[in-house]
Amino acid sequence: MEELLFYAFAALAISSALLVVSLKNTARALFLFFVTLFAMAGLFLFALADFVAITQILVYVGGVLILMIFAFMLSNKELLKDLQSTSSRFIAMPNIQSLLLSIAFLALMTYGIIAWQQQTPEWIMQNIKMNQVIQPTDNNISQLGVKFMTYYILPFEVISIFLLMALIGASQLSRKEGDE
Amino acid sequence: MGELIIHIIVPIVIFGFIALFTLFAVYAERKIAGFVQDRLGPMETGKYGLLQTVADILKLIQKEFITPSVADKILFALAPIIIFIAVFIGFSVMPWGPDVLPANTNTGLFFIMAVVAIDAIGILMAGWGSNNKYSLLGSIRAIAQMVSYEIPVGLALISAVMITQTLNLNDIAFNQGIWANEDIYFLGIWNVTDIGGILAWNIFQTPHLLVVYAIFFIATLAECNRAPFDIPEAESELIGGFHTEYGGIRFAFIFLAEYAMMFLVAMLGVVIFLGGWNTPLPNIGGLKLADWTTGIYWGIFWTFVKSLTIVGIQMWIRWTLPRFRADQLMNLCWKIMIPIAFVCMAISGLWRILVMV
Repeated sequence: MEELLFYAFAALAISSALLVVSLKNTARALFLFFVTLFAMAGLFLFALADFVAITQILVYVGGVLILMIFAFMLSNKELLKDLQSTSSRFIAMPNIQSLLLSIAFLALMTYGIIAWQQQTPEWIMQNIKMNQVIQPTDNNISQLGVKFMTYYILPFEVISIFLLMALIGASQLSRKEGDE
Repeated sequence: MGELIIHIIVPIVIFGFIALFTLFAVYAERKIAGFVQDRLGPMETGKYGLLQTVADILKLIQKEFITPSVADKILFALAPIIIFIAVFIGFSVMPWGPDVLPANTNTGLFFIMAVVAIDAIGILMAGWGSNNKYSLLGSIRAIAQMVSYEIPVGLALISAVMITQTLNLNDIAFNQGIWANEDIYFLGIWNVTDIGGILAWNIFQTPHLLVVYAIFFIATLAECNRAPFDIPEAESELIGGFHTEYGGIRFAFIFLAEYAMMFLVAMLGVVIFLGGWNTPLPNIGGLKLADWTTGIYWGIFWTFVKSLTIVGIQMWIRWTLPRFRADQLMNLCWKIMIPIAFVCMAISGLWRILVMV
């Protein structure tokens, strides 16, 4: 049952992602991107990362996707047409780049899987032996919180400052000039 | 197999409840509107007009599916379903009584926040798919409002969670009554673990949570697009807002989602701040009122009573206050509620360190 659900989510993620990039109708593609994100959240659940899954929905669906749709609605049609009229030949400049990138990523992932199957890293074996494995019933959130505030405190704070800078920058950009 | 059947029956029961609740909530809304405006409300159909909403829904079901010829057909058809499902999923982690909840997860509260965000996508879909200026304007207003008011809601919930130390809604409800797993202090000083009742609710455990609950309540009114925050469907400016083009059963689903959302946020407020399924009656000496009125059936009863009271207050506010202007709405959110919520969050942190050691 679980395996079936996993493959269903995976198939949904891949097929909707393919549709997103191939659809001519940008608005529909953006709304379809929601399905991709949702399926990805489902896949995160299978990795017992429920916090990540929900954050994915909250941040990407509730924030980023809505922002993208807004940007699409508020941009003028001429600009969008310009973006869509890329070369239709298969061996065009953007195609080569994306092809290279995806092949490199695929190669990296296959290499990783093969390497792991041949020899599982030491720390994983050790943790399995010491019974330090996440169970589906564990409360990951408190562990995450403790880790964030102790071991990962520096990156966490740096990201917060970075976000604050982005916020201040955005409000500065959108300010009316000479409106005192 | 038995588990699978339960997984099918529970959603059906909840759906039935939402439908029934909507029927009577619409009736109550119209009666309250009538009372506030000094008239009678529906009186013709059935005794005291009780069958009015049943008649309305029958009429809606019979109506023809009308899709505007220039609408984006797929988005137009999907939008009401997504809007309703987003709210409907939210009910999957709500506790109705002690250990009576469809899914007992450690991320319950966070899950609801995420699911409510999906609602915004559905509204945007409806506005864009209708291909109608009023619909699009209405949905853009709705999104601006929902995205802004998600911040005070989130901050209010964080302040409460800092006190409860868990996102599990079942545990949050448990720790506000005589069945609590840890000691409860009224205002941080008086141990009321055995007394329970209203004294053990979260809003009385720490006094600033009262302010937080006020913020939560006001912000969730805006999240539901209810008056006085109903500018997305301001009839005088936008006809019907994002659901202008909808009719028949599709409109019924949007309507159902609106009322389900009202109940969901009312119930969420009850669970987090107002004691969940715990009784409001405390133990007074030998008079064990709290012990007598705590249990599974009592729990479900109290959840209903409290949530329906909050829904009643939402309706009362709707028919009492006039609508906000868009800029006033944003001012209220960004300049008043968010700063107060931030202060409350800081107080929660201090309270946790200094009082609840």
